[in-house]
Amino acid sequence: MQKVIERILNLLAFLLTAARPVTADEIRMTVAGYDQDSDDAWRRMFERDKDLLRRLGVPLETLPTDTWGVEHGYAVPRGRYALPDPELSDEERTALWLAAKVVRLGGGASGPDALFKLGGAPLVTAGEPLAADLGSGGEVLADLFVAVTERRKASFIYAERPRLALAYGLVHRRGHWYVVGPEDGSTTIKVFRVDRMSGLDLEDEVGSFERPEGFRAGEAIPEAPWEAGPGDAEAVVRFDQSIAWWARHQLVGGSVVTDRPDGSLDARLRVANPEAFIGWVLSFDADAEILEPIELRARLLEKVRAAG
Amino acid sequence: MSSPRTARRLNRILAMLPWVIANPGATVDEVCERFAYSKQQLASDLDLVFVCGLPGYGPGDLMVAYIHDDEVIVEMADYFSNPVRLSAPEALSLLAAGLAVLSSGQAPEALQSAVDKLVRVLVPEGDLGLVVDLREPELVGTLRSAAAGGDVVHLTYTALSTGETTERDIEPWSVFSTLGNWYVRGYCRLKQAERVFRVDRIRDVTTTGDAFSPPEAVPPPIVQYTPGEEDIYVVIRLHPPARWVADYYPVEEISDDESGLVVRFSANDAAVPARLLLRLGAEAELLDGSEVERAVVDMKRRIVARYASSVWPAEG
Repeated sequence: MQKVIERILNLLAFLLTAARPVTADEIRMTVAGYDQDSDDAWRRMFERDKDLLRRLGVPLETLPTDTWGVEHGYAVPRGRYALPDPELSDEERTALWLAAKVVRLGGGASGPDALFKLGGAPLVTAGEPLAADLGSGGEVLADLFVAVTERRKASFIYAERPRLALAYGLVHRRGHWYVVGPEDGSTTIKVFRVDRMSGLDLEDEVGSFERPEGFRAGEAIPEAPWEAGPGDAEAVVRFDQSIAWWARHQLVGGSVVTDRPDGSLDARLRVANPEAFIGWVLSFDADAEILEPIELRARLLEKVRAAG
Repeated sequence: MSSPRTARRLNRILAMLPWVIANPGATVDEVCERFAYSKQQLASDLDLVFVCGLPGYGPGDLMVAYIHDDEVIVEMADYFSNPVRLSAPEALSLLAAGLAVLSSGQAPEALQSAVDKLVRVLVPEGDLGLVVDLREPELVGTLRSAAAGGDVVHLTYTALSTGETTERDIEPWSVFSTLGNWYVRGYCRLKQAERVFRVDRIRDVTTTGDAFSPPEAVPPPIVQYTPGEEDIYVVIRLHPPARWVADYYPVEEISDDESGLVVRFSANDAAVPARLLLRLGAEAELLDGSEVERAVVDMKRRIVARYASSVWPAEG
């Protein structure tokens, strides 16, 4: 490990001070630690080192070394390498560190590695008793975050169709991550669930779209799954006394609730996604019933009869 | 690929150097505290830096790094005077963590300003486009303060699978959110065992006045379903619109072809897969599992009967 770190520190020092792109051959001959005899061994080692630098966040770029673009070299532009100092106070760093400690994304706590870059972790050992797991995260989510912050178009497969979308926002709600934005050439805002995407790729062009003035990604995603969709119906559901308390936990703002003398309740709510709505009503077994409209009652019964 | 240990060590060196350069006179203790170093680790990283530098690699080309009278000295390393920018996963996880805690309403004021400052350097245009919504059900606050204070609480709880309501005293260890649901983990005095309860299934919480001491190591905030001996297994074929089930539930994939994805699903109660099958309708088929089949038939009968007998509301 010692040798690897020495070699990479030398490589990075060289790239940061060279005022021009340098070729792989030049690196091999100049930088200490790359004096392997075999071409293969050298190439494998160099690939590994580049990969490690990129994972640490180092912007390692490939640029032409001459005006004809015949040969390419490596460069680390200082302006893009350096983290602009956010000038966090000790108190702010502590708050951020505690937040990173209790929230997990991608299986682990966000960890101190990123905090080191912001000036180190403060000396606190007590964490807030809050703990939250935001899902598996992973490279896809990080790429989508780049798409949103750099305003790059994202292509992916969704519901078995290829899409090219302008990612206006990335939202975590009710346990899922969503990308919000229109498909290229359209203005209709769509919502894509991240765990149902595949084959994600970002276009190279940065700043390729503008978010509409005043766009709020959080508002594009409704609070309840049955509010997400193109439909616009109003439904009334009766919840029996035995489960009324639980239904109340799940009802969202905008629902009109009427308590009935026997302890049951009627809720009038907006339904944009009948499938999701029926699925939710069925989670109460026979203890909830759609009273209106007739079409949704019929759809629920059709679904129930087909089950099994 | 290089090992994560190498990456972490290098990351720490590249973060420590700029800080020492910006804070001349920093003591060994200060640097160790900030960057979670032991004195020995710090000394060995400084030794390593001392033999690195620019081509030529002679005195004057190499960086200077050592400890002198308890002071950490770094010189000739101007090219490392800035920390490396945050990688996309790092920036995302820090901001997501900050926003999650802010949305829960549990955050100190300093967190809001920290997040604002980070956003300003990461997205100079000023519009982040990232939203993390982690609203808490009402009872979470009560449970959290009970966990922090070591107070035994009395729960009225309805089990998700059976619908059965019980009363019990628990010693709450931790309160956490996983994939959109809130849970409390603790020792259940009724069952005399560790249990996890879903907060939206708790009807009522009261403090008992009893105190408890939490275990030294509280398990991590993850809900993991581990199949038990008495579990029920079913085999289900998922047609394309229902494939999401395989991502959402812990299933074992058996086969995958044009006719659909066949999975084995296990649960501690037949009602769980039965309810799932109901909502999937024609999008899934039960291939094997007689107990679940009986549960589905029973649920279907009750629902159809209810709808058949109910008085239709007047239109309008």
